[in-house]
Amino acid sequence: MKLKHLIAIVLFSVAGYNSFAQYNNLVIPDTISGTTFNLNLKDTFKQFLPGNQTVTGGINSDFWGPTLLFNKGDTVHMNVHSYMNDSTTVHWHGMHLPAVMDGGPHQIIPPGTVWQPYWLVTNQAATYWYHPHLHQMAEQQMTTGLGGFIIVRDAEEAALALPRTYGVDDIPLALTSRNFDATNAFLCCTRAYGDTGMVNGTLHPQVTLPKQYVRLRILNAEMERGYNLGFSDNRSFYIIANDGGLLNAPVSATRIKLLVGERAEIMVDLGGDAVGSSIDLVAYNAGQEFGFGGGEPSATGNFGSLLNNRNFNVLHINVGATTAGAITSVPATLASNTYLTTADATVSRTVTVTDGTPGPGGLPFQFDHTLYNFDTINKTVVLGTTEKWTVINNNVFGHAFHIHDVEFKIVSRSSHPVGAYEGGWKDVFYLQVNDTVTFVAKFNDYADPIHPFMYHCHFAPHEDGGMMQQFVVVDATGVGNTEKPSGDFNLYPNPAGNKLNISLTDPAMQVYYITITNSQGRTMCMLPRPQLGNGIDISAYAPGVYFLQLTDEKTKQSMIKKFVKE
Amino acid sequence: MNRSIFSTVCAVVLTAAAVFASSFTVADNKVVSDFKLKNVDGKLVSLKDFPDAKGFIIVFTCNHCPFAKLYPPRLNALNDQYKKLGVPVIAISSSDTVLYDEDSYPKMVEKAREEHFNFPYLYDNQQTAVRNFGAQKTPHAFVVWKENGKWVVKYNGAIDDNGADPSKVSHRYVADAVDALLAGKEVAARKTRSIGCQINLRK
Ligand SMILES: [Cu+2]
Repeated sequence: MKLKHLIAIVLFSVAGYNSFAQYNNLVIPDTISGTTFNLNLKDTFKQFLPGNQTVTGGINSDFWGPTLLFNKGDTVHMNVHSYMNDSTTVHWHGMHLPAVMDGGPHQIIPPGTVWQPYWLVTNQAATYWYHPHLHQMAEQQMTTGLGGFIIVRDAEEAALALPRTYGVDDIPLALTSRNFDATNAFLCCTRAYGDTGMVNGTLHPQVTLPKQYVRLRILNAEMERGYNLGFSDNRSFYIIANDGGLLNAPVSATRIKLLVGERAEIMVDLGGDAVGSSIDLVAYNAGQEFGFGGGEPSATGNFGSLLNNRNFNVLHINVGATTAGAITSVPATLASNTYLTTADATVSRTVTVTDGTPGPGGLPFQFDHTLYNFDTINKTVVLGTTEKWTVINNNVFGHAFHIHDVEFKIVSRSSHPVGAYEGGWKDVFYLQVNDTVTFVAKFNDYADPIHPFMYHCHFAPHEDGGMMQQFVVVDATGVGNTEKPSGDFNLYPNPAGNKLNISLTDPAMQVYYITITNSQGRTMCMLPRPQLGNGIDISAYAPGVYFLQLTDEKTKQSMIKKFVKE
Repeated sequence: MNRSIFSTVCAVVLTAAAVFASSFTVADNKVVSDFKLKNVDGKLVSLKDFPDAKGFIIVFTCNHCPFAKLYPPRLNALNDQYKKLGVPVIAISSSDTVLYDEDSYPKMVEKAREEHFNFPYLYDNQQTAVRNFGAQKTPHAFVVWKENGKWVVKYNGAIDDNGADPSKVSHRYVADAVDALLAGKEVAARKTRSIGCQINLRK
């Protein structure tokens, strides 16, 4: 439509990128702490623009979910209740946990179902996140706003003088952008880049931060756009953490690039700013190298947007009064990480970006000419092995490579020397055009020959298009290859009231998975490796006939028993 | 320059442009067939049961969708206003009840009682009506008009343009369409985008 183009041009040329006169106060997501986390996923709506509300996806909220505060060493129990219109999954991005708890494309949660994964938190203190990971639906479901932060705390981090008063001097920032149609609905998923930026679901956000050192936990929660972040007066700041933990020492910088899925914690000094003054966090995205998401120069079209190839304001920061206990300096040392080196690796693998041919009939981006297949295990890793993975991109565009299960150390990069800014534990990295990146990771703790972990491009359109593959971690001792027949089990009482108990005929038998469905086939709950000591709470179930499917840990064979709820 | 004002202006102009454009769209005059579906009172309901009706306001909705939950008072008001003029409201739930316990027939009966529905609320358990009409979202409204004994779709889309805040509605799409038809005029905005939860069709 010609009119639309005209308006777009007017908007593009008149709206100054660093001079919003009207701001909305930044939403700081609520927190949940403890060891039990109730997450309710639902279709909902939010008032983004004047006029009609935008239909969104919320987790205990109307867009973007609560921040989960984990303590390293705790076992966290998640009650993920989906009231969504579609099936979904929830992936705990960056968490080291069993594959069956990982929330990848295989742990599908149907509407109305509760999924109850749990795991021991072994990750270091850092900023992680959770988001849907249903294959071919990730972009659509993330666009609705499903996702949230995870903050892990540990003793090492707690001993440092760092800003950590959440929402005061320790601020989570989820950066993304969206396109709205004429009815204020989100447009998905033909255009890769949004025209309207948002932070934590706030358009044109402002926040008041105290006159002292503040800590920003920044997540690129985009679909495809990268951010080259800095402050409007080009002041220096300190990078203190990468994706998976604190750096050994702070790294001074004036810019930091974050591709999709990457996080950084930075400290910036507002101590020299006058109360009442302001400064902007800016995406200095003009003139980036080709292949940087959102660097394409067009304002319209599937790979254009009003924010493309230009500098734009991300967050307006007003300087407020200093708080009690203000942090006034950056510690000289932060952590004592012992990083893996190339010499530690006993297995080497190569993954090459291929295809991605444009135009009709063109093939989507993939690894080694192999599109994602739900039933194909592309790589098998032996438990306890340290591996070196080299990812090669001599292809036509940049990517954000992400692997589940582990935090890794980048050991080399062909495009430029590995920067101090990316010298810590990582789970996503920017794979430039004409870049070869090598990382080393150790695959510890969790073997499972059935449920795979993923590695994929974190650009949602690429991931959904099949730029994703699967690996399993197996125990070389042969567990899982046993020929032992499954034990049996009984349900009692039957008919049952509020609690359903399970007795295993073989006390050595372990339960891998339990799923309960009603007589119509609706999934009531999904319980990976359930702890059965107190039985299963069925108090909310309507009276009727139900089926309990139990999968044996060792044999991975499933058995079904019927029970009646009174 | 104030960017938010600019984007607001932009959005308003685009809305106007969309309505403007659709008023010149050649009417496709889609004909829909009658149905026979169970009402919350247990009786079967068809369009032919209303021999005096000039047309109908047919709204695909459901219990569970938060956007659909905003509209029952407005549906009652539409039926109050237009039933006596020969254009009654009929609501239909085509939701997949295996996925949505909340949309089961007994819960529809409860919903109709709680919200004092003054119109039929029909259970499209085979999802035939939703396929016939091509409804996408809950709520999704159709204004159908009787022409030569056939039921012709004259409006297809949202009920109005503000779900959560009725006081801020600026276009009452369905009411405007019915007003035009009752006055013997063409409907200005024949098609808008319905907003709400996707109606999942079983295979
Ligand atoms: Cu990619």
